[in-house]
Amino acid sequence: MEHAYAQALWEMVEGGAKPKEAVSKLLATLKLHGREALMPRIARAFARIAARESAKKSVTLTIADEKHAAAAKRTAKEALHELGIDTEDLAIQADDSLIGGWRLEGRERLHDASYKKSLLSIYNRATQ
Amino acid sequence: MANTVVDKIIKEIEAHAPSVESEHVGRVTAVGDGVVAIDGLSKAVMSEVLLFEEGKGKKLAEAMKTQAELYGLVLNLEEDGVRAAVLGDTARVAEGMTVKSTGRVLSVPSGEELLGRVVNALGEPIDGKGPFKKTTLMPVERESYGVIDRKRVSVPVQTGIKAIDAMIPIGRGQRELIIGDRSTGKTTIAIDTIISQRNEPKATRPICIYVAIGQKESKTARIVEQLRQTGALEYTIVVDAPASAPAALQFLAPYAGVAIGEYFMDAGRDVVVVYDDLSKQAVAYRQLSLLLRRPPGREAYPGDIFYLHSRLLERAACLSKEKGGGSLTALPIIETQDGDVSGYIPTNVISITDGQIFLVAELFNKGIRPAIDVGISVSRVGSDAQKKAMKGVAGGLKLELAQFRELEAFMQFAQDLDKATADRIASGQRMVEILKQKNGAPIAMEMQVAILYAAGQKLFNDVPVAKVSAVEAQLAEFFDTKASKALAEVKKSGLLSDEVKKELNKAIEEFRLAHSEVFSAK
Repeated sequence: MEHAYAQALWEMVEGGAKPKEAVSKLLATLKLHGREALMPRIARAFARIAARESAKKSVTLTIADEKHAAAAKRTAKEALHELGIDTEDLAIQADDSLIGGWRLEGRERLHDASYKKSLLSIYNRATQ
Repeated sequence: MANTVVDKIIKEIEAHAPSVESEHVGRVTAVGDGVVAIDGLSKAVMSEVLLFEEGKGKKLAEAMKTQAELYGLVLNLEEDGVRAAVLGDTARVAEGMTVKSTGRVLSVPSGEELLGRVVNALGEPIDGKGPFKKTTLMPVERESYGVIDRKRVSVPVQTGIKAIDAMIPIGRGQRELIIGDRSTGKTTIAIDTIISQRNEPKATRPICIYVAIGQKESKTARIVEQLRQTGALEYTIVVDAPASAPAALQFLAPYAGVAIGEYFMDAGRDVVVVYDDLSKQAVAYRQLSLLLRRPPGREAYPGDIFYLHSRLLERAACLSKEKGGGSLTALPIIETQDGDVSGYIPTNVISITDGQIFLVAELFNKGIRPAIDVGISVSRVGSDAQKKAMKGVAGGLKLELAQFRELEAFMQFAQDLDKATADRIASGQRMVEILKQKNGAPIAMEMQVAILYAAGQKLFNDVPVAKVSAVEAQLAEFFDTKASKALAEVKKSGLLSDEVKKELNKAIEEFRLAHSEVFSAK
């Protein structure tokens, strides 16, 4: 039940309501139904929704070495355009297991231009 | 690493053109008991195959060591994500793991190469004989053929079991349920049916598919060995989802079996699929549904438990000439508890199928094997497919046996019986003996006709009940040598002509004379 309330609160805020106003409306509704005790659980559920929604929106560019971030941003331009995101909004992360290249993940899409992926696919084809 | 692999890798690197394709992905948020909750994948479709990305964050060498790719199957589409069953070891899935959408519904490989092989519910070989080279992918979930594409069942599936072929005949394209308590010979009937197909001409011999669901590995291994020893494995495919396999694979195995069979049916061939057993599939599906948080209904089964079996068994069909004329016969098996056929799953499957062979523990324990209860066993469409010769000798047999069962119960209380009743009981006792059959020894149709013809000619009336089985075996050998022409004619034409009858009568008389000691010993 707390999830439904948290979802409603999220939708109110997303719809343009001021957070303080939305919370007081929720509190009034809970009081009316004698469900104030749910409030701490609703808060936790709301935090989970907020984390999930922000994860949905965030896009991470992973590179093998941070030195290559600028070059990766340049080559990933087309993919970034497809995701509708500017290079400034990117979260950059280093993962040396990629060996080289880059990997762009976020908004339910994945663009993998890492050397690791290419080498793995070559290996899999050769050993099949 | 072998030099050949190194050479191959060098060639692959030289020819490699890197491509950056956009993939649709989600993220695992919860894992447990074979089911995963995934955030994202908003464009996923039902029954879509997902690929778990296990190599993320791992070094190349470590990623290369990963076993075969791990797949999942979308079973629930929810507001903010999907729930999927893991088609493999759940322990390999971790929270936060990236899951890729593959854009394809689950398919299994099928083709001639699968004959004689043992595969899992995903169609991957598990018999150590290596991978398949050339196969066709068949969708696991597919709509069954419609009314226009089908024709009436007209060709019999010879089970090689006298009691079934004579009284509960099965036609190619029919769905005949084998139902009974544990250890009453259900699997034996199915396996004997598969073995019996070796008596069919190679050109028209049905391809057999045995789907083991939730069975012990030792049992499946024994069955495979039996099929190998009898030469039946060459036209058989075994799909194995053992008790140790995840519930998702046990749920999928029958669909994989039918999908493999449909390849042959679409090519105009005949197929017999045994599902051993659908009770266990229902239990696996219940487990999966509860984990997927679907509302439980009667006996905690989900609301679509009927559809689970109906959509599977509807895929059995006898196709019209325009569609190639192939057929797919389904022999589902259901295990009952304490002979209760009115259970939820048994009644569901009984109502879907075109008849049932009901096996009774009481008969089995009395030594009457196959332990078929003729009274409630029925084949609704099979008689259309029964050969005329068999129809001629088996007509009235079912009624006679049912009457005998009634009288048998009455006999225990009555002291003096009138002659007609006593004769009926004596004849019934002999008929029961004649219909007894050892497992793994299916009998060809023409021989069954000849034996039942001899029984109809009252040959066994003078034989003591205890000796009927032995005399029957001797008679079969005798027919093999002395009436081979008549047997060949019955096999060829499927008819019991006057000439054939004449030859059989002659052989019966010769047999009676040659074994006069048995006939005078009553």
